[in-house]
Amino acid sequence: MIKINGLTKKYKDCIAVNNLSLEIRDNELFALLGVNGAGKTTTIKMLSCITAPTEGDATVNGFSILKEQEEIKNIIGLSPQETSIARNLTVKENLMFYGGIFGLEKDELKKRVKEIIDKFKLNKYEKKYARNLSGGTMRKLSIGIALISKPEVLFLDEPTLGLDVISRHDLWDIIQELKKDTTIILTTHYLEEAEALADRIGIMSEGSLIELGTAAELIEKAKASNFEQAFITLVKEKNA
Amino acid sequence: MKSVRRILVFTGRNIKEIIRDPLSLIFLFALPVLMLVLFYSIFHELTPQFQIIYLAPSMISFSHAFLSLFVSLILSGDKESAFITRLYTTPIRSYEFIIGYMLSVIPLGIIQTVSILLFGGILEPSFFSINMLVCVPVSLVSILFFTSFGILFGTLFNQKAVGGVSSIMIMGQSMLSGMWFPLESLSDRFNAFIKILPFRSGSMLLQNIMMGTKTDAFENLFKPLIILSVYTLAGWGLAILIYMRRMKEK
Repeated sequence: MIKINGLTKKYKDCIAVNNLSLEIRDNELFALLGVNGAGKTTTIKMLSCITAPTEGDATVNGFSILKEQEEIKNIIGLSPQETSIARNLTVKENLMFYGGIFGLEKDELKKRVKEIIDKFKLNKYEKKYARNLSGGTMRKLSIGIALISKPEVLFLDEPTLGLDVISRHDLWDIIQELKKDTTIILTTHYLEEAEALADRIGIMSEGSLIELGTAAELIEKAKASNFEQAFITLVKEKNA
Repeated sequence: MKSVRRILVFTGRNIKEIIRDPLSLIFLFALPVLMLVLFYSIFHELTPQFQIIYLAPSMISFSHAFLSLFVSLILSGDKESAFITRLYTTPIRSYEFIIGYMLSVIPLGIIQTVSILLFGGILEPSFFSINMLVCVPVSLVSILFFTSFGILFGTLFNQKAVGGVSSIMIMGQSMLSGMWFPLESLSDRFNAFIKILPFRSGSMLLQNIMMGTKTDAFENLFKPLIILSVYTLAGWGLAILIYMRRMKEK
C-alpha cells in the first residue's frame, strides 16, 4: 500500500506538487491523469526516491520515502518517461545488467530474464542492440527492466507515449496481466488508457489532486457522456 | 559484497558501451598505433624526437588522453538519457558509479599501453626490454589522470559540449608534452610553465622508464611521477566532489 501524506514539492519559482494526500491499495492499478505540468511525474519521482519532497511524507509498503530509501529501492520498479536503457547493450544484456544491479544470483537472473523476454515477446530481439529497436519494443524493454527484480510496486511514467495504436494495445495487455500481483501507478496523457486499465483514477491539476474515483464515478460526477468529456469538465471547473 | 558486485556489473556495462562504439575503437586503439607506425617510419632517421624510445612512450600518454574524451562522452550521455536517474531508483550508490566509470577505463588504458609497446618493439626490436614491465603499471597513473578529468567534464558538460572540452586534454598532451618538437627550442619561461603541467611529466616519465634512466632518479623519474600524481589526485578530488554534488542536486 502507498500512503501519501501532504506531499509537496516546491522549486524556486513554482509549486510542482501541492499538499498531495492519497492512498493506493495493494495490487491496484492507479492512474494519475493531468495536463502538462500537473505534477504527475514529480509525484512519481518523489515516490521512487529520485527527488526529495519539500514537505510531507509518503510510505511505500510501509517504508518512508524520507527515511527508508534503500528499502524502497529494493521493492520498486520504474519505467521512466525518457528512454533510459543502455543503447549499446542488447535486449538480453540490458535485462542482465539491471538484474545484476539488483543483486540477483546467476541462475535466478537467467530464469528471470527468460521469463521477461517470453512475457514481452522479445525473443526475436534478445540479441539486438537496444539502439536498433523500434519505439514500441524499447518501451516493452523499459517496462521489462522495471520488472526484473519482481517489484512489489511498479511506476509507469507515460509508458505508451508516442506509440502507435497496435503497440499501445499490446502494452495494455501486458500491463493488465501485471496488475494481478503488482501495485501499479501509471501516469498518462491518454484518457482511454486510464479508462481501460485503471481501477481508480486521480486527476491532478497545478500540483493538486482535484478528483479521485473510478472512471464511471468521474463520468457520473461530471454529468458527462464519456470519460474525455468528464476529464475536460472537471479540470475546467477546478481551474475556473 | 553486494556493492562490489554492483560495481563490477556497472563496469562491465561501461566497457561494452565504449568498445561497441566504432569511433572509440578507432581513436583509442587504431589511431595511436597508426600514428606511431607512420611517424616512426617517416621521421625516425631525420630527428631523434621520433626514435621509438621517445615516440612510443609519448604516444602512450597521447592515447590515454582519448580516455578522457570517451569517459566524458559516456557519462554525459548517461546523464542526458536519464539512464543515471533510472539507476538511482535501484540499490546502486553514488560512489559505485564513479568507481564503475574508473574501473571500466583502466583495462582499456592498459591495452593501449601494451599495444603501443608491442608495436614499438615490432618496429625496433631493441625496444623490447624488461623496462616494459615497469612501464605498464606506471602508466596507470597517466590513465587515472585522464580518467579523472573525463569524469569531471562529463559531470559538468552536456554531450554536445563535452567533446570540445575534452579535446583540451588531447591538445594539451599533443602540444605541451614535447611529443612533436623539442621543448628545449622554446623560451625558458615557457619551458618552466610546461614543466609544471602534467602533460610533459607524463610522457617524460614513461620515456625515462623505457630508457632505463638511472642517473638523477629524482629529476628524471620521481619528480615527473610526483607532478603527475598531484594532478591525478587533484583531478579525482574535484571529480568526486562535483559528481556527488551534481547528483545530489538532481
